[in-house]
Amino acid sequence: MPVPLYGFLQGDTVGLLILAEDADTLEALAQKLQAAASLRVAAKNRVRVVYKDKTMDPTLTVAQAGFEALDRFDVLSG
Amino acid sequence: MLSREEWLPLARKLDWDYSYVREDEVFPEVISGRPWLPHSEWKDWEESFKTSYREYVDNQYEKDMAVQAVHDAVGRIENVQKLALPWLNSLKVHAAALPLAEFTGVIGNLRGARFGRDSAWRTMATFGALDEYRHTQIPLLLFHPLLRVDSQFDWAHKFYHTNNWFAVAARHFFDELTVGQNAIEFHIATNVVLETGFTNLQFVGLASLARESSDHMFERMVTSIQTDEARHAQIGHPVLATVMKHDPKYVQYLVDKWFWRNWRLFSILTGLSIDYLTAPDQRPYSFKEFMEEWIIDQFLRTLDEFGLEKPWYWDLLLDELDIYHHMIYASAYSYRATLWFNFVIPGPAERKWLRQKYPKYWDDMDAVWEQISERWRTVGPGPANELAVHGTAMPTFCDLCQLPLSAGTPRKNTARVLVHADRKYIFCSEPCQWIFLHEPERYANHKDVVKRVLSGEAPAQLPDLLTEYFNLTPDTWGKDAHNGNYEWLGARKDSAA
Repeated sequence: MPVPLYGFLQGDTVGLLILAEDADTLEALAQKLQAAASLRVAAKNRVRVVYKDKTMDPTLTVAQAGFEALDRFDVLSG
Repeated sequence: MLSREEWLPLARKLDWDYSYVREDEVFPEVISGRPWLPHSEWKDWEESFKTSYREYVDNQYEKDMAVQAVHDAVGRIENVQKLALPWLNSLKVHAAALPLAEFTGVIGNLRGARFGRDSAWRTMATFGALDEYRHTQIPLLLFHPLLRVDSQFDWAHKFYHTNNWFAVAARHFFDELTVGQNAIEFHIATNVVLETGFTNLQFVGLASLARESSDHMFERMVTSIQTDEARHAQIGHPVLATVMKHDPKYVQYLVDKWFWRNWRLFSILTGLSIDYLTAPDQRPYSFKEFMEEWIIDQFLRTLDEFGLEKPWYWDLLLDELDIYHHMIYASAYSYRATLWFNFVIPGPAERKWLRQKYPKYWDDMDAVWEQISERWRTVGPGPANELAVHGTAMPTFCDLCQLPLSAGTPRKNTARVLVHADRKYIFCSEPCQWIFLHEPERYANHKDVVKRVLSGEAPAQLPDLLTEYFNLTPDTWGKDAHNGNYEWLGARKDSAA
């Protein structure tokens, strides 16, 4: 089921609406955001997803991580 | 027959005690504003111009004739076509955003003309309404005919009648400021905060840019408008001074709220014009320099004059001077088809200038422009490649100011999610959230563009959103003014360093 999320990529100038799937891993979610912002920010290999001030396990799915519609997540370098 | 000096004070101060109705029925708090005070508290309301209607008409006639003369001499289509490309697109921004916003000022002033609490106030607001009508008609008269040579000027009439995202934001601002506002808040917010503060950006800053850009028509227009603003802005100070005696906390709130709301809108309207949509050799100063000299210093003097404190977010605002409008411009460039004017990429010389003026965060912005430039290098210039150098994911918007979530810095965006009454909101910044939480009943039901898309009110696919909801067409939607054809794009990447 699609989950609309507010995604903020470090280095970018605007937040983007990312439609995630419940079953997406957070690693895949980070890739979606990097692809969506690639016009302004070069994609990086090493990134981490931060949600509610915590760095998340990238193997968790969106559902497992407890993401809800219209939540904010950040993708940071390193 | 009475002399002017004898009849004018009688005509201006024509108040009386009501015998058949109560005063609070004639001037209900809901529309006159709070705190509700008896007329005895307002009877000393005064302003310095003390104009009669005949004098007003005579003066305005002279000013209109002067504008007409300049228009006849240098305001023809062929004159406009000689303007530098960036400035021409700056004109399109103001041609759309200015005229009908001024018309909402007619409505606000008419509210003061009926529900202001003293007859001298009501007299002055009547002139204010006439002023704002003039400020609607002159730019429409000057700008809209330009659609004969450039269809994007059609937005002089069209802009506020669309659901374009920037029109949604501007309507949200002006509807609250003027159309749906009580007389007290209208005059404090409009006259004190907007007209003695931020209109300097439009009428001094832009006049100066227009002069540098050899656009003497625009310069004359805004200078003429400014003479009206200087007069009717006088309404606000005695209103504020009276309310200050009874409820200083409320005045502080209104000033804090409206300074922030004005900052958000005018940093975009004017910031982009000064730092990007003016040819580099025609920029007399940076947006930040102008803000510091003409807005910040003057606003602090006004606060001091009335015994008000600096807004609690002052340090944040000063920090935003270095970055907010740069974040917006880069974001807007990458979603330029959602707007009605064209953009330019700052080239190496401009980026060097921007780095000098904005050293604090420019490294991060430079990286963004280098990435965008790299995309043009990859796909090659030309109109056919416009959308290959364009954002595809939906950008997001603040639930208060309705502007993109582009606050903070590229390293740390300050957007924040709030759950209020079981509904989720997102704000670009702490001040926007603070304003929302002070008056949630005023803002809670308004949907930003993202929420409209998610609820099915607006199309989700970008092409449909542009044409069906934002009322753009392939002819009118924004493009790179050079279609990516910049000589410097073939130069070394590090030439801007």
